Amino acid sequence: MSAEDDYPARRPKGGRPSWLDAEDLDDYLYLQDLLVRNRRNLTTHRLEIQIRNYNNSPLLQLPTEILLQVFKHLDKVDLFSLLTVCREFSELIVEILWFRPNMQSDKAFLKIRDVMMLPRTETHWDYRNYIKRLNISFMTSLVTDDLLYLFEGCPKLERLTLVNCSQLSHLPIARVLQLCDRLQSIDMTGVQDIQDDIIYALAQNCTRLQGLYAPGCGNISEEAIITLLKACPMLKRIKFNNSENITDDTIAAMYDNCKSLVEIDLHNCPKVTDRYLQSIFLELNQLREFRISNAAGITDALFDLIPADHHLDKLRIIDVTGCNAITDRLVEGLVRCAPRLRNVVLSKCMQITDASLRHLTKLGRSLHYIHLGHCALITDYGVQALVRACYRIQYIDLACCSQLTDWTLIELSGLPKLKRIGLVKCNLISDSGIAGLVRLRGERDCLERVHLSYCTNLTIGPIYCLLKTCPRLTHLSLTGISAFLRREFTQYCRDPPPDFTENQRSSFCVFSGNGVSKLRNYLDNLMQQRASLLEEYGITGEFNQQSPARRRRLQPREGGEREGFEDEPPNVAAAFNNFNTVLANPMNNDDDMTTWAAHRGLPELARLRVDQRAREIRRAEMNGADPLAMAQDPTRFLPQPMMVADPMELFRPDNAPQIVQSAVFDDVTMTGNEDDMDVVDLFPPPNFDTERD
Amino acid sequence: MTKVIIISSDDERFPVDIETASKSLLIKNMIADLKPDLGDGDDEDFEIPTPNVRANVLSKVLEWCEHYKNTVFSDEDDEDARKSGGIDSWDRNFLKVDQEMLYEITLAANYLNIRQLLDTGCKIIAEMIKHKSPEELRKTFNIVNDFSPEEEAAIRKENEWAEDR
Repeated sequence: MSAEDDYPARRPKGGRPSWLDAEDLDDYLYLQDLLVRNRRNLTTHRLEIQIRNYNNSPLLQLPTEILLQVFKHLDKVDLFSLLTVCREFSELIVEILWFRPNMQSDKAFLKIRDVMMLPRTETHWDYRNYIKRLNISFMTSLVTDDLLYLFEGCPKLERLTLVNCSQLSHLPIARVLQLCDRLQSIDMTGVQDIQDDIIYALAQNCTRLQGLYAPGCGNISEEAIITLLKACPMLKRIKFNNSENITDDTIAAMYDNCKSLVEIDLHNCPKVTDRYLQSIFLELNQLREFRISNAAGITDALFDLIPADHHLDKLRIIDVTGCNAITDRLVEGLVRCAPRLRNVVLSKCMQITDASLRHLTKLGRSLHYIHLGHCALITDYGVQALVRACYRIQYIDLACCSQLTDWTLIELSGLPKLKRIGLVKCNLISDSGIAGLVRLRGERDCLERVHLSYCTNLTIGPIYCLLKTCPRLTHLSLTGISAFLRREFTQYCRDPPPDFTENQRSSFCVFSGNGVSKLRNYLDNLMQQRASLLEEYGITGEFNQQSPARRRRLQPREGGEREGFEDEPPNVAAAFNNFNTVLANPMNNDDDMTTWAAHRGLPELARLRVDQRAREIRRAEMNGADPLAMAQDPTRFLPQPMMVADPMELFRPDNAPQIVQSAVFDDVTMTGNEDDMDVVDLFPPPNFDTERD
Repeated sequence: MTKVIIISSDDERFPVDIETASKSLLIKNMIADLKPDLGDGDDEDFEIPTPNVRANVLSKVLEWCEHYKNTVFSDEDDEDARKSGGIDSWDRNFLKVDQEMLYEITLAANYLNIRQLLDTGCKIIAEMIKHKSPEELRKTFNIVNDFSPEEEAAIRKENEWAEDR
C-alpha cells in the first residue's frame, strides 16, 4: 500500500537487493529472517551428498545472513544459475524467487502461468507455498478468472494486488482468499465486480488484514462491511468509495473495532455524516489520511469535539471534495487542530472564501499540496496570502476560480518548489501573466505539469517561453485555447479520451511526455526560421539575458518584502503582440481581450497591485451589467472598505512572512446581481454565517 | 599512548590504537560501555578477546582498520548508494587472498561489526558468482551436483521466467 515519506518503513541494513523493487525495501529484512530460520531447520536432515558438499565447500558453510548479503549484489539471472547448483542453494533461492513472482512482462507472466497450470504434485516444488506477494496488475489484459483460480491455495499469501484487473469477477477473488490467514493487504482498485462474498471471505479467513482498498464497492452491503470491521481489528488502511450503502453505522463500527486506522478513504459515500466522524478524529490518534467527498452531512462541526489544546499530530492529508456544507469555519478549526497538514483538498467546497486561505497560511511550510478547484469565491488576495506563507507548496490547483487574474501567476512565481499548476478555466489569465511567471521563475524551472485549458486569452508567445524555461515539463494542457487549435500544434497532442464527443475532440489539446518535447522542438524550429524577424523586435535578448539573474529571487524572506520588479522593462506585453504577429497566426488578431490585457498587463502587475477598478468593471461586464451605467457611476461596483485595519494581525503565525499588501476583500458573490456585492467579514461571529445564500 | 589489545582465538595479542580498534563498532561500543575514559590519562591497556577470529585473519582485519582509521565513511542511511558503488582498488588488492581467507575476513567483519569491510567482502564474493553457469559455479566453489538430470531440467524449466529481466 502507499508508503509516505515521513512514515518511515523499516529499512534493511546494507541496501536493497537488485531483485527487489524500491517499494519492497522493507520486505527484505523479513525475508532474511525467514530464510535464516528455514535453513537452520533444514540442516537437521541433510542428505549424505549434501553433507559432503557442506564439508567441502567453504562457501556453503557461510551463515545464511552472509549468503543473503552476497545475493543482494546479484541479478536475478545469477540467482537462476545458482538455483540448480545444489540443493542447499536451491532451497534458499526458490524462496527468494517466488517470494514475489515477477509478472511484469508478458513473457514472464505467461511462463509463470504455465507453471501454475501444471498439477501441483508434478512440479519440483509446490511454488504456491512460497508466494507471499502476488501482484498481477502489470498485465491486466491477461488477467481472467481462470488465471486467478490458478493461485488458489497460497497459504502464506500476505499481499494481493489486483489493481485494474477489470475483467475479474468476484468468484475467484473470494476463492483465493480461502485459508489465507496471513493476508495483510488486498488492493482491488479498478476491480469492477466486488461482491459481499469477497468481504465475508476476508472476514472469515484474513483476520490479520491491515489494508483493504475496494473503491468500487458500490454493490457491497453495509452488513458485510460491518462484519469485516469487527473481524479485522488490525485494519490500518481502508478505502471504500462510491457507495450509497455506507452510512454512519460503518463509521461507528470503524470507531469501535479498528483503533489503529491510519487511512480512511470514503470518496463519494454521500450517506456518511459527521456524527461518528467527530469521535474518529478525537480518538483515533494514528489517523494520517482522511478523504471523503460529496457528503452533504459533513459540516463545520466535524472537529467540534476536539479540545483547544489537542492536536491531531499525525494528520497529514485531508480531502473533503464537494462537501458543500463546509464553510471557512471548518477550515479554521482544521488548521487549529491539525497544524502539520501537508495535503489539503477543498475542491468544490463552494462556500470557501479567501478567509479559508488566510487560515491555511498558519500551516506555513507544512503545506505541500492544495486543491481549491471550483472554489469560485476566492480571489488574488487569498492566493497571495496563502502562497507567501506556505512557500513549500509543490502542487496547487485553482481550476475554475474564475476571479483570479494575472496577479495570481505573479504570486505563484515565488514558489521555489512548485511542480504543478492547475488554472483550468481561469479565463481572466492573459499572456502577460504567463510571461511574468516565466520571467520571474527564470530558466531551468522545476515546473512539471501546467494546466491552462480554457484560459482562452492565451496565445503562442508566452507558452513558447514557458516551454523553453521548463525543461522538466511533462504535461501541458491547452484545451479550448483557439491559438493552439491548429493542425501544426495539435499533431503533437495526445489522443482525446475515447468517450469524447466530436465537439469535445475538436477542442482537445493536451501535450504530455514526448508530445511536450515535440511541441517545444517544433516551435524552436519555427523560431529559428524567423530569427531575423525576432531580432528586429528585440525579444530573444530580453528573455535570455534577464531570466537567470532573477531566478530564486522571489522566495519569501524575513519581513516579507519581496524584490519588486519595477526595473523590468514594461513593454513585454506589447512585445508579445509583436511576437504573435511574427508568427502570423491568423487567429491572433487583437480582440478586445488582448487589448484589455495589454492595458492592464505587466506595468500594473509590476507594482504587485491590481487595478482594482478595472477588475471590478471587468467582472461586472462578465456578469452582464450595463457598461454604460457603470461608466457613469463606477463606485457602485467597487467593494466596500474593510472594517478591520489589518486582519492579518489577528492570526499571523509567529514567523510568517509579512504580507505587504493590506488585506482588502472583494465581494464574494458570483450571482451576477450587483446588489449582492457586499463585504464578507473575515471572522464571522458565531451564528452569523456570512451573507451568502 | 594507551592501546587496545585485541586477542585472537589462538591467544595472539594485537596492540592497536583506539582509532584503529574503533573501526569495529563492536569494539567501539565495548570501549564506550566498559572504559569510557580510555585514553584520558588512563595508562592501563584494555584487553578485548575475539574468541572466533584466528590470528592470521585478525591481523588482516586490523590491517584494514589501520588503513582506514582516518577515513570517515558516508552515512549509514545512504545504503543504496553504497551498494551500487564499485570496489575501491586498495580493497580489491587487499582482498586478493584465497577463498577461505576471504570468507573468514568477511565473517570476522560481520562479527566485529565493520560494515564497510563486510560490504566489500560480500561484493567480492558476489563477483565470483556473477556471469557463471551452474557447472562453472560448482567448479569454482567445489560443489558436487546433487540433483538428477531430470530434476535439474525440471527446476530450470519451472523457473526460467526468472531469466527475464
